[in-house]
Amino acid sequence: MALIELQDVSKLYGFGDATTLALDEVNLTIEKGEFVAVMGPSGCGKSTLMNIIGLLDRPSHGKYRLQAKSVETLRPNQSAKLRRDTIGFIFQSYNLVPRLNVLDNVALPLMYKGVSVTNRIKQASAMLERVGIQEREYFMPNQLSGGQLQCAAIARALINNPKLIVADEPTGNLDSESSRLVMELLADIHKNGNTVIFVTHNPELTRYATRVVYMHDGSIIHDEKTVIGRVASTAKKVAEKSLTSDEEHLLAGVSTMMKTFPTKDSESKTKSRKKPLKGKKKS
Amino acid sequence: MNEYTRGNFKAGFKTLLSTKLRSFWTMLGIIIGVASVITVIGIGSGIKQQVSHQIQHLGRDVIVIRPGELHGSTGLDALSGLNVSGALSSKDVNVVKNVNGVSSVAPISISVAKITRDKIPYYNNLLIGTNGDLPGLLNQSIAYGSFFTYEDEGSKAAVLGDKVAKRIFDEELPLGRTFYYNGQEFIVRGILNEMNTTPLTEQADFNDAIFIQDQVAQELSKNTAPIYQILARPEDPKQYKAVAEKIQNSLYKSHGYQNNFKVITGGKDYDSNGTVLSLLTQMIAGVASISLLVGGVGIMNVMYVSVAERLHEIGIRKAIGATNKQIVSQFVTEASIISLVGGVLGVILAFFINILLRIFSDLKPVMSIELIVLAIFISVIIGIIFGSFPAIKAARKNPIDALRS
Repeated sequence: MALIELQDVSKLYGFGDATTLALDEVNLTIEKGEFVAVMGPSGCGKSTLMNIIGLLDRPSHGKYRLQAKSVETLRPNQSAKLRRDTIGFIFQSYNLVPRLNVLDNVALPLMYKGVSVTNRIKQASAMLERVGIQEREYFMPNQLSGGQLQCAAIARALINNPKLIVADEPTGNLDSESSRLVMELLADIHKNGNTVIFVTHNPELTRYATRVVYMHDGSIIHDEKTVIGRVASTAKKVAEKSLTSDEEHLLAGVSTMMKTFPTKDSESKTKSRKKPLKGKKKS
Repeated sequence: MNEYTRGNFKAGFKTLLSTKLRSFWTMLGIIIGVASVITVIGIGSGIKQQVSHQIQHLGRDVIVIRPGELHGSTGLDALSGLNVSGALSSKDVNVVKNVNGVSSVAPISISVAKITRDKIPYYNNLLIGTNGDLPGLLNQSIAYGSFFTYEDEGSKAAVLGDKVAKRIFDEELPLGRTFYYNGQEFIVRGILNEMNTTPLTEQADFNDAIFIQDQVAQELSKNTAPIYQILARPEDPKQYKAVAEKIQNSLYKSHGYQNNFKVITGGKDYDSNGTVLSLLTQMIAGVASISLLVGGVGIMNVMYVSVAERLHEIGIRKAIGATNKQIVSQFVTEASIISLVGGVLGVILAFFINILLRIFSDLKPVMSIELIVLAIFISVIIGIIFGSFPAIKAARKNPIDALRS
């Protein structure tokens, strides 16, 4: 029995002349225990696919069966419970509730499940220990670095022990060191028998996956099985190609990698700018 | 309260504290509404209480008989002589006294007269003709000396109100001293304690009155001192209504089947004042409750803004598994906390207004527990009602649409 079955799933945005096709009759079956990487240029429908799989959005057409159950007929309440108990969603922008501290954020799904305060704090604390940021549990989200925030978000996604982890560019906003940490965490979850689907622009990260799906203009154009620890062959080609190809690809595909360089530059620039300003004020 | 709602309360208070200023402005509508409702109703019931205090002073079980015409003795009635001043007479007192089940009866006749003490004239003294039953009927205690009794009938004994004693006689205790009225010498036999209210009538200050025997008063004024009213008390307070009916029937007969008198029971007469008052109170309270409503609309407005502002948060919460009901209850809890705190602050404000009114005016507003609880309860209800519209709207959003904002 497949965990996820997508059959001719389409998603349309907008009305009339402004209609855009985000997903074009996608067929995809994901078995339990797979570690799927989804790759493709910006705007190819990866996120839409993730949202539909994660029950945040509904397909315009087509059938989606999760655990062999059709999702279309679910009532809002039932899909909320599925999101709570079966699916853990990890976002690129972390999406922690800014007014709650890390511990409360992680415990939030437990609150919606009706777990008692002491129990949920205990569980959340244990989960934070597992992702390695237990010493920051009483920090507010704005006091943490991106990597720590993503770890907290992963802890929150894992707190209800979901069968399926859906991660939409979990490393998109992170430096390479944090990216590695986050991917190790996801790999760890996968080892425990969970199914993980993640979106990435970085071909290097396909090392962690058992399967890589390539998308373009709302369709799946290539689907390959790969061995853990090796960069997928097609991904390698894409990476090599993108380095030499047109500017659009460069911006879209390798934007993550480029981030480290400009920030260092801009930092030194701002520093050098500030100094003369201060000097002027003093004189 | 289950775990979930407790979490909501905590979160609601946190939100309140994190947006102190905005929450305060939201609450202001509720605060003013609650404070004005409580103050207005408090003033109304304060005045009512003062009136009913007078009734109580008179004694709950006292039946009052008044002449029918005397009540409207102003303007045309007075000019045309239709004002039959003698509608009640000493005869009526005897009729009432002979009614079965009546234990004590006292007439009250009022005349204004000049008296002289040591050849010094004093004008405009309130002279009240009555009998020995009066102190008992009024629950009035005597400070010094004693009130005249039935045995003193016809004697020229007088009892002074608290103020008269000080006004006319220089000394504190003018017991045994004399004064002249209509050429007759009266001896002061007793002095009343101060009455904290002036029962029976607004115009006559009983503290400033001289009490003499009714019989004597009628003789000296040549029957021109009208009996303002007759007070009667039944033997058995439970038979109150029945006795009042009997009095009514006997008087009706003795008046030649004319209804030119009134038998007032249960302080009904005073209640008519109360009806006007409570109507007024209701009207002002209605106006004040409009401001409560406006406060509620204010809450709705702010909740809409708050929902719009936190749509992203709603998206997050929905994405991690919050049901629509849980989102609604979060926002409704928040709105009701705002209105609850607003209500409590409103009560505190009303309390201060109450104190200020008591200090700077004669009003004595009453704040009853029921009123306070009701006001807070209503404000919470308003919060729940007006908070739920935006909350339901927010909860129905698609999680991804909420997340994108």
